[in-house]
Amino acid sequence: MDLSIFLILLQDGVINGAIYALLGLSLVLVFTVTRVIFIPQGEFVSFGALTLALLERGQTPATIWLLLALGVVSAVAQVWQGRRTLSARRVLAIAGTDLALPAAVAAVTMLLAPMKPPVAVQIALTLAIITPMGPYIYRMAFQPLAEASTLVLLIAAIGVHLALTGLGLVFFGAEGSRTEPFSSAMFEIGSLLVSGQSLWIMGVTAALVAALGAFFELTLTGKALRATAVNRLGARLVGIAPSMSSAIAFTLAGFIGALSGVLVSPLTTIYYDTGFLIGLKGFVAAIIAGLASYPIAGAAAILVGVVEALASFWASSFKEVIVFLIIIPVLLWRTWGAPVVEEDDH
Amino acid sequence: MKKAFRIAAFTAAVTISVSALGLIASGSVARAADPVRIGVTVSSTGPAASLGIPEANAVALLAKEVAGHPVQYIVLDDGTDTTKGVANMRKFISEEKVDAVVGSSVTPVTLAMVEVGAENKVPVVSLAANAKIVEPVDDKRKWAFKTPQNDRLMAKGIADHMAANGVKSVGFIGFTDAYGEGWLEEIKPALESKGIKLVAVERYNRPDTSVTGQALKLMAAKPDAIMVAGAGTPAALPARTLKERGFKGPIYQTHGAANNDFLRVGGKDVEGSVLPAGPVLVADQLPDNHPSKKVAQKFIADYEAKYGKGSVSTFGAHMYDAGLLLQAAIPAALKVAKPGTPEFRAALRDAIENAKDVVYTQGVVNMTPTDHVGQDDRARVMVQIKDGAWKLLPAGK
Amino acid sequence: MSTPAPINNAAADAISSDGRAPGGRGLRLVAPLAALAVCALIPLVPGLPQFWITLLNYIGLYALVAIGLVVLTGVGGMTSFGQAMFVGAGAYTTAILTTRYGVNPWLALPAALAVTGVFAWGVGAVTLRLSGHYLPLATIAWNISFFYIVGNLDIFAKFDGISGIPPIAVGGFALSDGPSLYYLIWGAVALAVIATLNLLDSRVGRAIRALRGGVVAAESFGVDTGRARILAFVYAALLAGLSGWLYAHLQRAVNPSPFGLNASIEYLLMAVVGGAGSVWGAILGAGLVTIIRDQLQDWLPWLIGARGNFEAIAFGVILVLLLQTARDGLWPHVLRLCNVRPATRGHHAEAGQLAPRARSAGEQRADGPVLAVADLRKQFGGLVAVNDLSFVVGRGEIVGLIGPNGAGKSTTFDLVTGVTPPTSGDIRYFGENATGERARVIARRGVARTFQHVRLAAGMSVIENVALGAHLRGHAGPVGAILRLDRAEEARIFAEAHRQLGRVGLADLADRPAVSLALGQQRIVEIARALCLDPSMLLLDEPAAGLRHREKKQLAALLRQLRGEGLSILLVEHDMDFVMGLTDRLVVMEFGSRLAEGTPEEIRNNPAVLEAYLGGVA
Repeated sequence: MDLSIFLILLQDGVINGAIYALLGLSLVLVFTVTRVIFIPQGEFVSFGALTLALLERGQTPATIWLLLALGVVSAVAQVWQGRRTLSARRVLAIAGTDLALPAAVAAVTMLLAPMKPPVAVQIALTLAIITPMGPYIYRMAFQPLAEASTLVLLIAAIGVHLALTGLGLVFFGAEGSRTEPFSSAMFEIGSLLVSGQSLWIMGVTAALVAALGAFFELTLTGKALRATAVNRLGARLVGIAPSMSSAIAFTLAGFIGALSGVLVSPLTTIYYDTGFLIGLKGFVAAIIAGLASYPIAGAAAILVGVVEALASFWASSFKEVIVFLIIIPVLLWRTWGAPVVEEDDH
Repeated sequence: MKKAFRIAAFTAAVTISVSALGLIASGSVARAADPVRIGVTVSSTGPAASLGIPEANAVALLAKEVAGHPVQYIVLDDGTDTTKGVANMRKFISEEKVDAVVGSSVTPVTLAMVEVGAENKVPVVSLAANAKIVEPVDDKRKWAFKTPQNDRLMAKGIADHMAANGVKSVGFIGFTDAYGEGWLEEIKPALESKGIKLVAVERYNRPDTSVTGQALKLMAAKPDAIMVAGAGTPAALPARTLKERGFKGPIYQTHGAANNDFLRVGGKDVEGSVLPAGPVLVADQLPDNHPSKKVAQKFIADYEAKYGKGSVSTFGAHMYDAGLLLQAAIPAALKVAKPGTPEFRAALRDAIENAKDVVYTQGVVNMTPTDHVGQDDRARVMVQIKDGAWKLLPAGK
Repeated sequence: MSTPAPINNAAADAISSDGRAPGGRGLRLVAPLAALAVCALIPLVPGLPQFWITLLNYIGLYALVAIGLVVLTGVGGMTSFGQAMFVGAGAYTTAILTTRYGVNPWLALPAALAVTGVFAWGVGAVTLRLSGHYLPLATIAWNISFFYIVGNLDIFAKFDGISGIPPIAVGGFALSDGPSLYYLIWGAVALAVIATLNLLDSRVGRAIRALRGGVVAAESFGVDTGRARILAFVYAALLAGLSGWLYAHLQRAVNPSPFGLNASIEYLLMAVVGGAGSVWGAILGAGLVTIIRDQLQDWLPWLIGARGNFEAIAFGVILVLLLQTARDGLWPHVLRLCNVRPATRGHHAEAGQLAPRARSAGEQRADGPVLAVADLRKQFGGLVAVNDLSFVVGRGEIVGLIGPNGAGKSTTFDLVTGVTPPTSGDIRYFGENATGERARVIARRGVARTFQHVRLAAGMSVIENVALGAHLRGHAGPVGAILRLDRAEEARIFAEAHRQLGRVGLADLADRPAVSLALGQQRIVEIARALCLDPSMLLLDEPAAGLRHREKKQLAALLRQLRGEGLSILLVEHDMDFVMGLTDRLVVMEFGSRLAEGTPEEIRNNPAVLEAYLGGVA
């Protein structure tokens, strides 16, 4: 391997790593706020990419029907759970977020999709379709289990993953799709050829990380989320409903997932089940970060991407083995000699 | 004793209702006058879904009646999972009392099913490609047949084309699964026989988002040509990466890539790629004297009428061919015994083994006791992608 | 109904979720035997479709793995996504041995188990140190790697796998069809159930079950939790390996696909759906998941009117709904439906005395302090939590450690009990250095403790929790437990536990689930557990918190009695009246340092203490 090959691989790894970083961040966020190990994170990536691909072809994506259905179920679930305490205002609010919003998104999509609107509009539609699925799924699947053990939440997450993957196959079929790049520009930096699309990915990832940082540090909602992550009871005591923080965390998860899908789909073919493996690699990064630190998760994701790129050059048959087993030494290093930590979680 | 009694009662109730359900399930299937029952298990979910879905779709086009006997098809999904495939197989045999089984879509699942087929003496017609399923024909494989062309036949086509076009060295990149592995095993001897060197072998996963590392490694070996062994749209990724990285030589694909989604996703990156395929892929371009032309055109017309224009793929054609094979064999078996009997199944097996000149959408088949595929060069055409469409290459070029 | 009452217990016991032993050994077998008889008759039910036997065979194979997960996850609290890989280890071992070397399947069985066990031990040694959520994720990594390693190596015949595996033969008769294998598979399940119930109802089993109550509590009674974890892990893997051996000979072909991550997920799902807390739940879960899967395929096309790939969707939705209605799985609901209450345990008053704990030379000496702490210091980063603290506890003395909130009492307690290592300083028990020793080593020195936040194992009854205290006084290992060779020792342990419970006045609550007690009572249970260690010293962390007035008086009387028997006691307490009336001496802490030391009378009149501590209250 000479330097130029190494640089190309490095670039490739960093780009893939950026996507893993986005997912890793999202996983850490959801876990710290809700204790849910959100396996279905990857499905949002697939849904986002494939919805965009359908819009690009001027077709109405079937995901809008899923959005509508999820909204209805979420509304029903919330009204049922709070049937004794609901105020009329609250019911109206639920109707607004869970019924009117998806209906509006669906209507706009059906109207615009056949007209093949500009890429920016397609992306906006995609994000509008996929993002609300996050909180809807939280409301129907996880909120009723809020006090359950991490294991139960994990199994529920697997149930959601199975259902969403199945839906993905029904909506999009088994074959993959790929979208047009936002930019077809190519830049030459030394011996390295850098595509405009990869710059987009790096830029958006960096911007999103910065935005998340600002969100957590500067806004009240962000602080509330952090408070919930540290101490659910404490957050409740100072007047932050954990269910609200959780819904926001899942909204962000939906948004980040859909955005990752939109970003990555011009680079590679995305299938209905691609998300799972991408999500797992995001997990590897999140685990390395101890499911706690955002900056470390980001850095670890880049590391995973680079290791993957190098492994695909050196030993492509064993690439996955290498990528997944790097977490073992990292985890050992993290826990070796650390004091026994008591977990009050059962 | 009360509690013990309650538990016993509960257990008994469960047992009885379970068996009752079973009886209802097995009894609910109406039994028309001696229907021939065919079990179909394909991988409509899981990693091989892109094969299994068109295969399952094609079942609707198969003959509903042969020689005055109705033919029933029971379709199950095995999720590309061996355990499920074998369970389906056992369900077909013990519950549905089928006369033959068609499936599954991939080699590992089929290999396990063949064991059960042989044990229960039920013929299995596989839709998977690997020659291991039917070779060598021994006591076990006596009951196994398959309709897709052997990878060997296809590999020979690629090797011939390479030799004719002056390719001296080849790099290989294939799926990290049974498909990629099967192709690697077949292409090695095919290349050797033409004196072409295999200079690099790389692997990738179906859902991988990047194959840059593999592409660079391949190009570092400086092969004249590169072949990609992948199925469906995932086969487009290496071609694209190679183009991006400036590979100028010819790129070969396998017949696994031959569907329209591949063209859609591959776009200009797969332009000029050469691949072996079943004649059905280019049915309209076949010379009029090609035996498969009519059958293939009919299949395409029927399939697209039902599932939409451009939806057809060669995988569906394998299922259709399995139907044609059974259709040809059933009348002979009916002369020997009634459907649903062990004698009929044995006779059906014999009839399939003796099938002569059965015209598939992909060539003409002559089975023998030592050849349970029965295809010759007519089952393969060489195709090139030109202007985003499949273009038949004249033979010998 | 002439049968005596204990039969009820036996029946209830055999299906009770936590595998407690009933009164008599013979009765214990009644219910399993009845279940076995029902199972044996199933294939003979006239008209039963043969496919149901096939399904039952698969259910048996899955149940074996799920039972292992009960021990590992439901009881031990360790979530594993790697069970399919251990099934694969067993299956591939027998596949390779029987097809390539012509080994008889029966001879391949021990080999398959050995390979699986060693493999699991290796994986466990590397991975089990990981706590909490890391473990499941690390097992995901292992399982994915296993899949690709097997698929890419020639020795495993790569992705196509190995076919032509011979059937298992019994006396020349090949078990190649469903019904004949049925007996083998369900025989294995029956053995696994018995072995697992036996294991869980033993000294080792209590150690595994205590893991969920917290590692610290178990370690404080001498349990080597690392060993208990790996034991549970290897045991679960062995059951998976057994399932794999059967799978290979049922399927007659192996390839990587049934041993991938998805299969592991499915095993875990079965255990959780049925109820991971009980072996019967595991079997129920394996049955339900398999049958739902199969039936969905039959009924969904009929319901929806179109063929499609809706099974996974329906399955996922059903799973989530199921968890929402039955979080602990379905088995507890079945029990409620049948109105089965947890069993009561027979108590062996007639069992012999449990031998006292072996005492060290230092412990036996009559002179010198029991606990001597010198210049003890603990820093967390820049924060000094304990600042060069020194004090001693003499023989037969009750010493109180008091101070305002945040004074460093709890940290001091953690340091002397071995939960956290000190930054510097010296801790000696009976004259022997114990600085930086782990909790279980300190327990061996004859030091027993209670916790400020009660740490009783949730899935165990009061008496079982107390019996855990006697861990160091027993010796039976896992094999003895599975083979039921540990009964005499167990009887003595439980007799001792019962005696200690009686001593603290809670004997009539022995069979209640520990967590159902009032918090104050739970504290007393912790004291009984500590006494089971046969300690020379007791460390009590706020024992009076949550007690009513009368209970406090009883507790004080008990502690005085223990002092009279020569026990030394160190207690951290907030309740001033309680401390003042009980202790011989007090150590007052403030800001991590010792503020004062003396008799209660001296402390009461110490101006510095009044200022810093009582002043705040008054």
